[in-house]
Parts: sequence; C-alpha cells; structure tokens
Amino acid sequence: MDGNLEISLDKLPIKRLETIEENGLERFPSDVGYDEKRVNLIRRIDFAWAVEREDLSKKQKKSSSSKETTASWPWQSMVENLQSAHHELSVIIDLINTVEANDAVTVAGMTRPKQLPNELLSDLAGSTATKLQCFRHLGKYFKQSAKALEQQVAREARFYGALIRLQQNWKVKRQRVVSSAPGNEGFYIDLFDSSLYEPAAVFRPSSISTIRIEHDPAGMLAVNLPPNSCHSLQFGFLGAQLGNNPRQSGKLKTDCSVEDPSGETKKVPISDDECVKETHSLLRKVHRAIFDEQVFDLVNREAFNPSLGVNVTGIRENYLQLSIGQGASVFISIAPSGQDNKTVDGAGSQNLETALTTFETFDGSKLAEGKHDALKKKLGLPSRRSCEIYMQQIFHEHVFVKAKDRSIPSGRTQLSGQPAKDGQNLLGHFCMALAHRIFSNKVLAELENLVCRVPYVHLIFHPTWHSRTSSWTLSMKIPESILHAGHRRQKSDIHDVKGVKSQFRTKVVVNDDCINVEGEGAPNVASLFKGRSESVCSMNRYDCDLSDLPVILLQQVASQVVHWLHEEALLVGIKANRDFLCLSFELEQGETLSLVAHVDPEDEQGCISWWLVMDDGFTEEQKFHTDISDGVSETRKFLGYLSLDVLYSTLMDLVSLCSGGGSH
Amino acid sequence: MNKGGVGGGSGLGSGGGGGPTAAAAAAAAQKQKTLLQRVDTDIGNIVDNFSLLVNVARVNDPPVRNSQEVFMMEMRAARMVQAADSLLKLVSELKQTAIFSGLASLNDHVEQRTEEFNQQAEKTDRMLARIGEEAAASLKELESHLLFFHTEDKPTPTTLK
Repeated sequence: MDGNLEISLDKLPIKRLETIEENGLERFPSDVGYDEKRVNLIRRIDFAWAVEREDLSKKQKKSSSSKETTASWPWQSMVENLQSAHHELSVIIDLINTVEANDAVTVAGMTRPKQLPNELLSDLAGSTATKLQCFRHLGKYFKQSAKALEQQVAREARFYGALIRLQQNWKVKRQRVVSSAPGNEGFYIDLFDSSLYEPAAVFRPSSISTIRIEHDPAGMLAVNLPPNSCHSLQFGFLGAQLGNNPRQSGKLKTDCSVEDPSGETKKVPISDDECVKETHSLLRKVHRAIFDEQVFDLVNREAFNPSLGVNVTGIRENYLQLSIGQGASVFISIAPSGQDNKTVDGAGSQNLETALTTFETFDGSKLAEGKHDALKKKLGLPSRRSCEIYMQQIFHEHVFVKAKDRSIPSGRTQLSGQPAKDGQNLLGHFCMALAHRIFSNKVLAELENLVCRVPYVHLIFHPTWHSRTSSWTLSMKIPESILHAGHRRQKSDIHDVKGVKSQFRTKVVVNDDCINVEGEGAPNVASLFKGRSESVCSMNRYDCDLSDLPVILLQQVASQVVHWLHEEALLVGIKANRDFLCLSFELEQGETLSLVAHVDPEDEQGCISWWLVMDDGFTEEQKFHTDISDGVSETRKFLGYLSLDVLYSTLMDLVSLCSGGGSH
Repeated sequence: MNKGGVGGGSGLGSGGGGGPTAAAAAAAAQKQKTLLQRVDTDIGNIVDNFSLLVNVARVNDPPVRNSQEVFMMEMRAARMVQAADSLLKLVSELKQTAIFSGLASLNDHVEQRTEEFNQQAEKTDRMLARIGEEAAASLKELESHLLFFHTEDKPTPTTLK
C-alpha cells in the first residue's frame, strides 16, 4: 500500500431516532443484520489503488513492449497474474486479521471459487493416478501374499504327506506344549513298543525312544538324532582276535548308507519319496539300536543270575565278558554305531575309511587270513556273526513269544531251540549252545581225522536242527564185489545177505558236551564174562570223552570188521573164533592162526592195522601187544593197513589154509 | 473347496463321532460345527473385504476421500490375507486331526501289515527249513557219492607185506 492513509470516522453504534410520528411514537431504524453489516464494511474497502497500480504497470509494460518487441518472456503474463493474485490475497488477509482483531466482524466462510474445467480434469487425473497406484500396490501385496501362502501350502503338503506315510509304520505322537521353535508342531515318533514286553519286566524306555520331528529349511520333515546316540550290539570271541573289525566296518557301512533324510548336506536334492525312505531307514536303524540295547540289558540281568553255563569273568561299562567253557570266552558289548547323526560330514566318512583301512590292514593279507582260519578251526570257534544273530534271535523270540504267544504258532520256535520250555535262562542256553558248537567242532575234527585215515569208513552227518545236539554216523559198507558169490546183487539196498551184514553203523551223538557212542558189532562186557564172545548185543551204547573217542570208535569199527570176517568165515563153513578184535582159526595139531586188528589213533598211515599171529599153544599169546616196531617175528606178522577187499582175500587164504590142513 | 472341506470335516467328524460314547459323538459334532463356522467366517471375510475393495475403486472429487479410501483398501487387503492365512491354519489343523483321528483305517493298515509280515516270516521259516532240508539232502547225496567212489576205487594206504 501507499504511504497515504485515509481515516474515516464511523457513527457511534447507538440507535438514532429516525422519525417521530404525530402520535409521539418513535421510530428507530431497523437493526442491520450481522451479515449485512459485514458486507457493508467489506464494500468500504477501496481497491482503487491496487487497480490503478495495475493499470500503470500494464501501461508501462505496453510501452516497454512496444519499445522492445523482440525481448518478450513467455511466462511474463503468468508472473503478473500471480503477483496480482498475491496482492489481492494480501489485502484480504490483512482485512481478515484486522477485522478479527477488532472483533467487529468475523469470517463466516469462504467459498472456493469455481474451478475451471482443466483444473477439474487435472484434479481428477491426479486422484485417478493415486488410486491406480494404490491398486497396483495392493496387487503386488496380493501377489507376494499368494506366493507366500502357496509356499506354505506346498511345505505343509510335503510335511504332512511325509508324516502320514511315516505313520503307516511308526507311532506318531504329539506333545501338547508350546513349541519353542517356529514351525515345530511338537510331533515326535515313539519307538518304544510297550505291547511286546511283560509288565513285570522292567524295560526302561531308551533315551532314543522318542524322536522329534522337525522341519528342514525346505519344509520337509527332518529327523534329528544326537550324535553317537545309536548303539549296536557287538559280540566276539576272546583270544582269537576275531570279529570286532568286521562288525564295526559293517556297521559303519550300514550307517553311511543311511544318510541324512532331509538332503541338506547332499548336493543333489532328493525327492520326497527318497526322503521318506531314508527317514524310514533311519528310524529302523534306531529301532534296531533300541532292540540291541534291550538285548544287552537282558544279557546283563541274566548274567548275574546263577545259571548253568554262564560265568562272568569281566565287566565294564557297556561291556560283559563271559566264560562259556571249552576254553573259550566271549564278550558282549554295546558300542556307538558311528554315524547316526543327521549331518553326514567328511569326518564320518574319514572314520569309515580309517576303520576299513584298519580292517584291511588287519585282515588284508592271505597269510593273516590263513592264520585266522587255522586258529579258528583249531579252537573250534563257530562263526562270530552267526552267533551274534543267534543270540539276537533267541532273545527276540523269547520276548516275542512271551508277549504274543496267542498269535504265534509254536512251530516257529523250533528252529531256535527250546530255551523257554525248559526254564533255563536265555543267556545260559546261548552259552551252552556256543560251548556245544565248539565242542562238536572238536568232535567233528576228530571224526574227520579218523575217517581220513580209514578208507572204508565214511562219515555221515545227521542234522538235528537243535542248537545243543549234534549227530554223526560212521558207516562201513562192505563192497558189493566181495559179498558172498551166491547172493550177490547189484545195486542192492538189502543189508543182510543170508545173515551177513553188509553195512555197519556207529552213531555218535553229542548232547552239550557229552558224547554218546552207539554202535553194533562190539561184544558187550556181560557176554565176555559168560565166556561166549559171540553173544553180543546188537547195539551198544556208552558215553565217553573227547580224548577217548578216537580209540573207542576205532575199536568199534575194527570189531565190526572182525565180526564181518567171522560171518564170512562161517558162511564158507570154516569154524572160527571171534574175540573182540581177533579172529582165530584152528589148524591141525592145535595150532591157532589169528587175524588181529590193532588200533592206533596216532598212526598217520592208518588207524587200523592188521597182524597175523600164529599160536602153537606153547608161545605166550600177545594178542594185544601194541609194539609194532618189529613187523616180522616167528609168531606174528604185520600185514599192514588192509582194505576190506584185501582182508576178504586174506580170509579166503586162511580158509583155504585151514581147509587144506583138514581143520574142518 | 468349501464342500470338500466340509466333506472332509464331516468325514473326520463322523469317524471321530463313531466312538462308543455319546459324549464323544457330541464333542465331535461340536468340533465339526466350530470348524465349519471358522471356514464360513474366513470365506465371508475374504468375500466381503474384496467386495468393499472393489466398491471403493471409484475416484471421488475430494482428494482427502481418496486418501481415506487408500488406507481403507490397505486395511481390507490385510484382512483378506489374514483370512487366507487363517484358512491355511485350519487346513493344517484338519490334517493334524486326520493324523490323530483316523485310527480305524490306521489300525486296519497296521493289522494288514502285521499279517503280511507274519506271512513273510512264516514263508522265511519255511524257506529256511527247505534250505536246511535241501542242504541235508545235498550233503547226503555228496556223502553217498563219496561212499560210492571210495567203495569202487578202493584206495588202500598200504599193501600186504
């Protein structure tokens, strides 16, 4: 504004008398309304100065523009309009402030000036763009949410699909507790089978009986096991240095084959099916580990109950040493399986390689293998692995049968022996079965050694399918070619040919560590006392120990041969006397010619040798003289290790000799 | 999808309600009803919020109203996603219920597997017995062959002096 200031004076705001009527009535002017009063005040504002100024500036601009037609700024008019608008606004604002300060008039409202169409369209375009942007933002939000929900659906489908498949074979349970980790619904698998065991038996749930199910980053279920939580049962014989490494290497191999189920550390992603299969394998491994722990627990319990065949000679943590007799000791232990953790790292494979290398170094050379086999054969030790399986099997069947005997047929238990029937504890039965196996191997070695050196004796094995009983038969069959000429039959199965037996059997039965020999052809003691050695029992049964077994069997066989020779001699009409291992022929003048069998288990050339003894009645008989260093003497002659054919020929020669001498 | 969910829920409910007690059946029916209500609520939320979202698509004159509508649209979208997440959790609950409720079919499956394993065990036992018999027969045959050859060949360690 200019510096000039005009002052106007208003009338006092009092009611002034406007007119007086003749009747004296006074009339005052009507009250001016508030709005009218305000409008009147606004109208008194003089904007002439602003308009004149504007006109002046426009004239100056026109004059300047006429003078400088070439220098025109395109935005000049807009600037001028904005300046004038600014001036008007300043005036109005000043007026409003003045009016409000004076409290004379207040601004009731201001109406927005009507917008121009282009302004309307621009506002609409802005609003539309804003809303479109908002919708686009919502679209992105929905896409992200949809993607996340789809991933969540896929993860849950994989997880629950795998869980339902696992539930087909395992007990899936849930803990009703708030899970600490996100994504963990508290599922776990219970591997403890309480239905298999008796209530009286205290089978504590193993620490690995409950296995938590978790999510891996891919959403698939994962089973985590603490390291070295799985233990496996180990069995071996002491003194033979056998069994440990193969078992460990085998176990490690098994463990390495079951790698982590979620495929985290695998470079190649595995499918859901493979993941479930690996989880099944892992759970099965844990299940077996629990079974091994329970078997070891049972073994420990029974070891300290007094029972036959069980003698505890050493005990450590997770280790038990037993003496089973027959000079053998075994150990049973529980050791970590090795790699049962989820993550299969290089350390595990390195351990495997180390174990395998150790095993190969220990058992790699043929010489070492040969030594082990020889030592094993010498000791009569059975297969370590078969013993371990047998131990697990009898304990499993004992538990299984006791718990579910209502559904299991009794025939299934026959193969495992009868530990539950006779009331003996399982460990005692197992130890006695091992001792029997060792002892029977020794018996078999003796029998084989004997049969190797007696060609006409053959060993026949009779499977008993009993863990503590073994049976063999020593068979001696007279060749068909030397049977009596009048009754020869080709391919005949008839044993008796006119009273001459063609086959002799000696049965050897081992029950635990008792050897029972049952044979035919040998004279019994009672008949000997009666003076008639011909009267023999058809079958003799007697027990013996291992050291006497070869001699007894050789005597049995030799007596059977003598019996056969005697029968043959009688068949051809020659009177002969039989006395255990001696067959005597009477010659003229009271002379006696005897064919005597000599048995010697230590003789490498043959266990049964034959002597020809001449007895003229004056020379002292030394039928059982064992000194064979001098094979030729006046009264006896060493014939050698004769076969049955040669024996028969010899017999015929003696018969001829006797016939020629007119002894019959 | 609703029908499928209902069918599954009703099946599960009937399976659980097939128990021996009326209380269990009533509890199962109540649970089924609750689940259906949750499904209806969530679906209704999604539908309503989406309808409102579409309804405020119109551009109004006052910009302030558009801004208000923007905030409301974001809120509606968030509610829709929340309802979808709730449905997903409902599906998870149904799956968990299926895992721990379908015991009849599971028992049948277990019994079937038990029967299969028993048969397999018996088959294995028979096979082992057969193997034993064959081994015994083979051993017997081998021994008879040895006996035949020994009898015919007559290997004699020494001869008569």
